[in-house]
Amino acid sequence: MRFVLKTHYGQDVDLFKHSGQRFWYAALAIMVGLAPWIMDDFYLGELSLVFIYAIAGIGLMLLVGYTGLVSLGHAAFLAIGAYSHAYLLGHGVPFPVALAAATLFSAVIGAIVGLPALRMIGIYLAVATLAFAIIVEQVLSHWESVTGGYRGMPVPEAELFGLSLMGSQTFYYLCLALLVASLLAALNLLRGPTGRSFIAIRDSEISASSMGIHLARTKSRAFAISAGFTGLAGGLFAHKLGYLAPDAFTLLTSIQLLLMVVVGGLGSLHGVIFGAIFIGLLPQAIAFLRDTLPPAAAQIPGLEPGIFGLILVLFLIYEPLGIYGRWRKIRLFFDEFPLYRSATYRRQKSYLRTERVR
Amino acid sequence: MTERLFQAENLSVSFGGIRAVQDLSFSVEQGEIFSIIGPNGAGKTTVFNLISRLYDLDRGRMIFEGDDISGLAPHQIAERGIARTFQNTELFERETVLNNLLIGRHIHRSTRLLDEFLFLPGVRRQELEFRKRVEDVIDLLDLQPYREQIIGNLPYGVRKMVEVARALCMEPKLLLLDEPSSGLNPEETEDLSYWLEDINEDLGITVIMVEHDMNLVARASHRVLALADGLALAVGAPSEIQNHPDVLRAYLGD
Repeated sequence: MRFVLKTHYGQDVDLFKHSGQRFWYAALAIMVGLAPWIMDDFYLGELSLVFIYAIAGIGLMLLVGYTGLVSLGHAAFLAIGAYSHAYLLGHGVPFPVALAAATLFSAVIGAIVGLPALRMIGIYLAVATLAFAIIVEQVLSHWESVTGGYRGMPVPEAELFGLSLMGSQTFYYLCLALLVASLLAALNLLRGPTGRSFIAIRDSEISASSMGIHLARTKSRAFAISAGFTGLAGGLFAHKLGYLAPDAFTLLTSIQLLLMVVVGGLGSLHGVIFGAIFIGLLPQAIAFLRDTLPPAAAQIPGLEPGIFGLILVLFLIYEPLGIYGRWRKIRLFFDEFPLYRSATYRRQKSYLRTERVR
Repeated sequence: MTERLFQAENLSVSFGGIRAVQDLSFSVEQGEIFSIIGPNGAGKTTVFNLISRLYDLDRGRMIFEGDDISGLAPHQIAERGIARTFQNTELFERETVLNNLLIGRHIHRSTRLLDEFLFLPGVRRQELEFRKRVEDVIDLLDLQPYREQIIGNLPYGVRKMVEVARALCMEPKLLLLDEPSSGLNPEETEDLSYWLEDINEDLGITVIMVEHDMNLVARASHRVLALADGLALAVGAPSEIQNHPDVLRAYLGD
């Protein structure tokens, strides 16, 4: 068992709550820091992709998991980030400036998309963002002078101070650094007034507005921040792809991003990381599994999306809190050992309106 | 009874054919506890929703501290210093009591988005300052055992008090309590009446309260407004209202 003695309010504000957390996060940092010496280039590339997904996931999590606004159009922000970054690089803008500009541009578009979305909730908002994603997809396909249309658009090599950033090791560290920075930014946001105002809107709009929270402004802020993170991920994703074409940013991508935050666990940044690992590595795991299966079973068409879907459905039924929810239960078991009560997380029906958690 | 804090002039609102509130006028003095009573459907909560601008007025106007507030947005009402609670509680269910109360401090924030991204020292200072204020309210309402608990796991009576606490964290000038005692047991209601006194006398907050429990109304409030079918029946001291013929008729029939 662990008991944290609190002697100062600052302890509740700090990112790490006790020395155990500091130790494990340091261990994790050393592990991911040393990964390039242990793994070969292929796995390093896969891990970079997981980091990129995670950055996009932070954006989507802030919107869906914390503000309670569903978006089925985040592939569009990924695309806007990727294309504007590649376009700027192609016109000789240095890498850091191009990436920052792509992030800001996505955020501005996010704020604009957020405006009409302010009056919509739930399924209506999902449909509106879906429509936005389709519009963006069309624009990418037809605005040939900028995007290259269906032919696509090559992504120029990223350079910083004359050094190429495209080696698998340097790119890995670039993604890692940006992921850590994004996580810190999101954590900081969430422990301050703005993050709390997002959560307030998620749980009760009516009460949020009576607490002095400007609903429209806060929601459009959430959209902008969310789109900004996703646009940043898009810029990195462009380098990962090497060649941009509209078919990399379809509805399926949006759904994959949404799956990531739902399977990871809505309302937690841990969930983003778990979800990104799940989305990024599961196809590889399934492909790996396929090799070990008897040929008759391995040749079934659609095996990968099938297993993917099955895992998703199982999660929604048995663990709606996602991978992070399961993780927390396991952790609590060890934290409270041997006093863990087996009914701690038993799901109960609730009848009072106020007891229902939407 | 010194100066007038809040004044309602000819408030009227109807929903379709239902006249929820008709030509209602009343005024609340600085520092008093003003109760609104009436049978179900009399329009009590509607009055609150009008004041917090969740509903638009059809006619009439509301004056708070000398300014017309009938055209403000709900969040501006909060910024002016009017806090409220809800009849069936509207808390942030998936958050801890502490975070709910911290959201109550929202209108007092002075940091900007960019500072918060970087969590500059100013943001930390503000968080600690917020926390100190929140702890004062927790001490006042004896919520210490629940500080770290998720709202969804708390019993109803505690939630009601958390909602009052959250409103107090806003440091309002005017507090609107919508049936604070509903769902509380007699003991909790007793505590509530003492806390009302503390809130009113020690913190100097003016209270408008919608309440069914006549004992609580008689004990706590300075003046009472009786409503029926959206019309004002009578205003006066609790004892006068309890024996007022119109009020008795509204409750008991002819």
